[in-house]
Amino acid sequence: MSSTAAVVGHQSPPAHLQVTGIGKSFGGVEALREVDFEVARGEVMALVGDNGAGKSTLMKVLAGAIAADQGSFRMDGEPVSVATPLDATALGIQIVYQDLALCENLDVSANLSLGAEPLKPGWTFLPRFLRPIDEIEMEVKAKAAIDRLQVRTLRSVRAKVGGLSGGQRQAIAIARAVGAESSVVLLDEPTAALGVAQTRQVLDVVKRLRDTGHAVVYISHNLRDIFEVADRICVLRHGANVATWRTSDTTPDEIVVAMTRGLEEGSDDAI
Amino acid sequence: MRSDSGLSVGQRFRQLRETRFGAFVPVMLALIAIWIYFGIAEPAFLSPRNFYFLFMQSAVVGTLAVGITLVLLLGDIDLSAAATAGVCAAVLAVLIVMGIPGPLACLAAMLTGIILGFVQGWLVAYVGIPSFVVTLAGLLGFQGLMLKILGAQGAVNMRDPFVRSLTTVSLPPMLGWAVAIVCIVVFAVVVLRRQSQRRQRGVELESALALWGQIGFFALILLAVVMTLNSYKGVPLLVILLVGLTALLGWITTSTPFGRSLYAVGGNAESARRVGMNVNYIRIAAFAIVGLMAAVAGILGASRYASVSFNAFAGGPLLLEAIGAAVIGGTSLFGGRGSVWNAILGALVIGSLGNGLDLSGASAADKLMFSGAILLLAVAIDALSRAGSTQQR
Ligand SMILES: Nc1ncnc2c1ncn2[C@@H]1O[C@H](COP(=O)(O)OP(=O)(O)OP(=O)(O)O)[C@@H](O)[C@H]1O
Ligand SMILES: [Mg+2]
Repeated sequence: MSSTAAVVGHQSPPAHLQVTGIGKSFGGVEALREVDFEVARGEVMALVGDNGAGKSTLMKVLAGAIAADQGSFRMDGEPVSVATPLDATALGIQIVYQDLALCENLDVSANLSLGAEPLKPGWTFLPRFLRPIDEIEMEVKAKAAIDRLQVRTLRSVRAKVGGLSGGQRQAIAIARAVGAESSVVLLDEPTAALGVAQTRQVLDVVKRLRDTGHAVVYISHNLRDIFEVADRICVLRHGANVATWRTSDTTPDEIVVAMTRGLEEGSDDAI
Repeated sequence: MRSDSGLSVGQRFRQLRETRFGAFVPVMLALIAIWIYFGIAEPAFLSPRNFYFLFMQSAVVGTLAVGITLVLLLGDIDLSAAATAGVCAAVLAVLIVMGIPGPLACLAAMLTGIILGFVQGWLVAYVGIPSFVVTLAGLLGFQGLMLKILGAQGAVNMRDPFVRSLTTVSLPPMLGWAVAIVCIVVFAVVVLRRQSQRRQRGVELESALALWGQIGFFALILLAVVMTLNSYKGVPLLVILLVGLTALLGWITTSTPFGRSLYAVGGNAESARRVGMNVNYIRIAAFAIVGLMAAVAGILGASRYASVSFNAFAGGPLLLEAIGAAVIGGTSLFGGRGSVWNAILGALVIGSLGNGLDLSGASAADKLMFSGAILLLAVAIDALSRAGSTQQR
């Protein structure tokens, strides 16, 4: 897709996070082949494709959850390496996984701070992983994050996640990604389990993230939502790029065709 | 919050279990039921003297169970813990026979335990062998190792005064009371301070009933234990050691990032990995801690029996009782749920059963079948009480 990349250069805002030539195989299955992808600050980039197109795999690569076989990462033009989840977090990349990645045996506040528990001040004679957790701070942060999403049905941040509904869990996974310091937020089908009102909340959150200068990647099978929030739409098919469109220059029908059959002869709307 | 008036008994029970101390309730009830039963059947059971021996007998199993709880939290198992304890006790005995001072020999035994645990943890984490297999191999191999270290006769006497003192010394009654009162005051201060901090920061408060209930309950148990033990020989040093170790591990598992990661890995290892936890390090650390606790159990066993013999550690009963104690305490074999304190209660349940059945002259056959039934019952209660609150596991 070198022609695509060339055009993107002058028509779009400069990329904040950009990956090129990403390849990833699982045994014999080639999940990603020479994929290029980018997202700029202050935009929502939608990523669409059929089931098994490689969307989630690409997101996991961006989040450091799986290491790509080949390909390179750039952040604001600088080459960076994202080999582990900690690398991604350090670079300000946050993600809502399609499978949510919550621990059902822990409560809501513990899940929201998982891996980054606030610690009580002092105790510096102990190594970091043996210092006492500041549970109260953790609950305060959790409450703030949950309130921002307005999950009204959630009664307590001390409820175990295993006892929550699918939608409540999804809200918690979103709150975890949105609540942390970040410049890139990746949302892998964040509304799949949500009701109408909750989906609206999430779309509002996505817009708010864009307005506060975040780079947002939004995966969904619901084209109506996509056409509402996305600035650009990137289509993947069989683990490879099809093309990227500006939302204002395309139609749902065109996207559906691109998802299912690839680029049609003579279609020149792709940027 | 809605009012509690319309709740069924089952729902109340489940709510209770969700609270901080709720997980104690089933084991506690089981323990009380057993004590009442044997207290009626065999009045000598409730004598201070018997309780003293009950605590002493349960200490080795309890120490092992506390350690095993850590790997159970991860969803792993350690079948080699008792054999590790045996190897460490053998190392201790041989070093002392060689003339090494007791404290130094104890440190060497503990180091041995840590190394054995570390190696097994490494095999599980990095080579990827299931813990069941690694520690089964450990069980066999370490029993052999123990025989090798002990030499042909398979037993070495333990006369070192330091090691013996661990299980023979009791605190003078006044000191026992003083320790209990200090503990109660510290506990009350910690609980009340936490509550006032919660109020300041405006987060959910514990109900006044739960708050004072906790303190009252803690004080009651502690005072009752001290009173009972004081009317025989006083609080054994062993009990203080075990409670202190458990408190330390309890604090680490519930209040530190390391402890949180044990629960996280047990709950969903992939999620833990994706938030940046090093699952391999956590596994190895947990196995190393089990090794350390096994070494402590080995030292305590050597001290209590005044000898280190193959039969005391090998063969299975000690291991099965320790795993049984952890599970009866409510620690899940599937990982992610449990607590070290419950392991102590579980060890008391197993110890009480053995002790009570001994007193009432039951045969070895009855004892085995009874223990099996109790284990099954405990796990069944756990499975049922969980079935309502979460869908899975
Ligand atoms: N851990 C894995 N092991 C083996 N194959 C995998 C793994 N993860 C993904 N794949 C394969 O990679 C391909 C892409 O999967 P991916 O989950 O990225 O699809 P997707 O576009 O997110 O689909 P969906 O819309 O269903 O979520 C699929 O063929 C899948 O079978
Ligand atoms: Mg997917």
